[in-house]
Amino acid sequence: MFYLPNIVLVVVLALLGIGIYCILISRNLIKIVVGLQIAVKGAFLALVLAGKLASQIDVGQSIALTVIVADTIVAVVALALAVQIRRKFGTLDVHALMSLRR
Amino acid sequence: MTAGILLLTIFLPWAGALFVWLVGNDRPRLQHSLAVGFSVAGGVAGLALLALGSPDEMVVLSIGGAFGNFSFRPDGLGVFLATIATVIGSLAVIFSVDYMRHEAQLGRYYALVLFFIGSMSGLVLTGNLFLMFAFWEMTALCSYALISFYNDDPKAVAGGIKALVMTQLGGIGLLIGAILSYSYLGTVEINVLLDKAELLPSNVLGIMAFGFLIAAAAKSAQFPFQTWLPDAMEAPTPVSALIHAATMVNAGVYLLARFYPAFAGVPGWQEAVMVVGMLSALLAGLMALVATDLKRVLAYSTVSQLGYMVYAVGAGGVFASQFHLFSHAIFKALLFLGAGAVIHSAGTRDMREMGGLGKQMPFVRTVFVIGALALAGIPVLNGFWSKELVLEAGLQGGATWMFGVMLFTAGLTALYTFRCVWMVFWGEPHHPAHLHDAGPAMKTALAPLAFGTLFSWLLAGSFSHLLEKTLPYHDIHAVSLVEILEEVIFAPATWIALGVVALGVLTWVFRDSLRLWQEVFAGIGQTARQSFGFEWLNQAVVRTTIQVAEDLRNLHTGVLNWNVLAIALTLLVVVVILALGA
Repeated sequence: MFYLPNIVLVVVLALLGIGIYCILISRNLIKIVVGLQIAVKGAFLALVLAGKLASQIDVGQSIALTVIVADTIVAVVALALAVQIRRKFGTLDVHALMSLRR
Repeated sequence: MTAGILLLTIFLPWAGALFVWLVGNDRPRLQHSLAVGFSVAGGVAGLALLALGSPDEMVVLSIGGAFGNFSFRPDGLGVFLATIATVIGSLAVIFSVDYMRHEAQLGRYYALVLFFIGSMSGLVLTGNLFLMFAFWEMTALCSYALISFYNDDPKAVAGGIKALVMTQLGGIGLLIGAILSYSYLGTVEINVLLDKAELLPSNVLGIMAFGFLIAAAAKSAQFPFQTWLPDAMEAPTPVSALIHAATMVNAGVYLLARFYPAFAGVPGWQEAVMVVGMLSALLAGLMALVATDLKRVLAYSTVSQLGYMVYAVGAGGVFASQFHLFSHAIFKALLFLGAGAVIHSAGTRDMREMGGLGKQMPFVRTVFVIGALALAGIPVLNGFWSKELVLEAGLQGGATWMFGVMLFTAGLTALYTFRCVWMVFWGEPHHPAHLHDAGPAMKTALAPLAFGTLFSWLLAGSFSHLLEKTLPYHDIHAVSLVEILEEVIFAPATWIALGVVALGVLTWVFRDSLRLWQEVFAGIGQTARQSFGFEWLNQAVVRTTIQVAEDLRNLHTGVLNWNVLAIALTLLVVVVILALGA
């Protein structure tokens, strides 16, 4: 039961759940980015765990590293967009930004 | 050596595209010179490659082995199509120097044309199905962007989108074939696929065969996708000559010929290919007879002639189809460029507003007539020999009634060709102003094509040797030129066909005495003008798509949280399916 991979798996699921729940309920763009970050942290952990379980630790860790880089870029761009949106529209509420709908 | 030249035919035009684009539109003279320089260099590389074709030489660019390596193979089929693409490409670019002289945005024009030439070489030379798919889509992209080159004209934009959508449909067929090959054989190497085709389950091979047929039909504007090619005529005329007559539309025929050994055994495939070719040839021939736009007549005739090639592949005549492709590329490029010279100086594409242009444009008239005689299948031009070979292959490998239809279409071809030549160059002049003959750059491009139309059939023998030597799976027997000529001259099919062609010509000459018959066939002409209902079908599909999109619009809430919920739920469903499956 308290076997290490199981514990890691629980943590992975918890991080993913918290992250997705956060994106699901928040209307503030910054909070959505934070939720996304939490979910992606779960994904890192899952990759490392998968590498360990498949006894290909190097592959799992290197993919996790790659995702860290990509994820950082996502966060930076998203926050930069959030700043610009705040300046242009004066709000960070995603519901106020709907312009696709007629 | 071979490897370097092979890569040059792809990368020289691409480098040219980059430079022309970087030069910028402020210096049009430099752009013209750069484009001509790079395309001619590519043409020289293509001609050199023709001498070096061999089955064993391979260029392999390693990409880490995930989907095999990027391989290129200079075998007969690929080499000679790459030569056509680069040589006719360079002639079309030379022609453009006069044709596009005072146009804006030359950078975009030349960059796309050169990018197309390189992609076309890559498409025919590659030995990797995924890479082939990538090049296939690159040529489709260039075709779309060049059809819509005059992007302030709604008709040009609509024609471009139509071409893009239809060729994309075909691309899906090719992609499915590539994925199936990868999942069942673990490779996308074309030669491995040809080698091990019989190891595939028969239903998988069937899906691949018909998927490739759809891909080929969409790319070559064959039945039932033939409607995009006439609308593609909004492109600048050198583009029509290069992409929509000489090279890209041949990619479909090339695909069928390349994979013929693998699919010939699939039940019903050969018949389906022949029927597609026959229907395209017949319907497009009828539409060419009633069209009044000079470029649309040529477009319909391209569809019709491509139908002949597809028909020949279906009948097992791979050599006949490729030889007709070779002849057609030369004479149709000549016809299109000649038409471009006419349109450039007359300022209209409507043949009813032309007439009597022969006296004012003697050079263009001469070369256009040479091309037209080849199209009609009059001896001893290149179109005659190759069309007879196609008909003979059809008689040997297919049903007699199909052969009859193709014969009838040969007569039809002669009829509409003479009608077109007459309406443009002879008859009553409808154009008041004095027109200038083709400019020097136009003449430079037209003269080699006219020469090729007169003499390219002399290469038939060496061409068949090249194909036999380099295509291990196609079972092509090399025949010398003399044997081919004897075969054609002594075959009864030839004389029947010549009789039908003569009948077609006579129908045009005595058209006034045949008024009565014209009224009998007026109904067919009327349906042909409406493209036999296919245009209506296209419109219906577009309308339905738009309506469905309108109806589904409410799902597009724009609320981020809903989108995330949908993603999370889908993820859950996938996890459940995986858990149950395992």
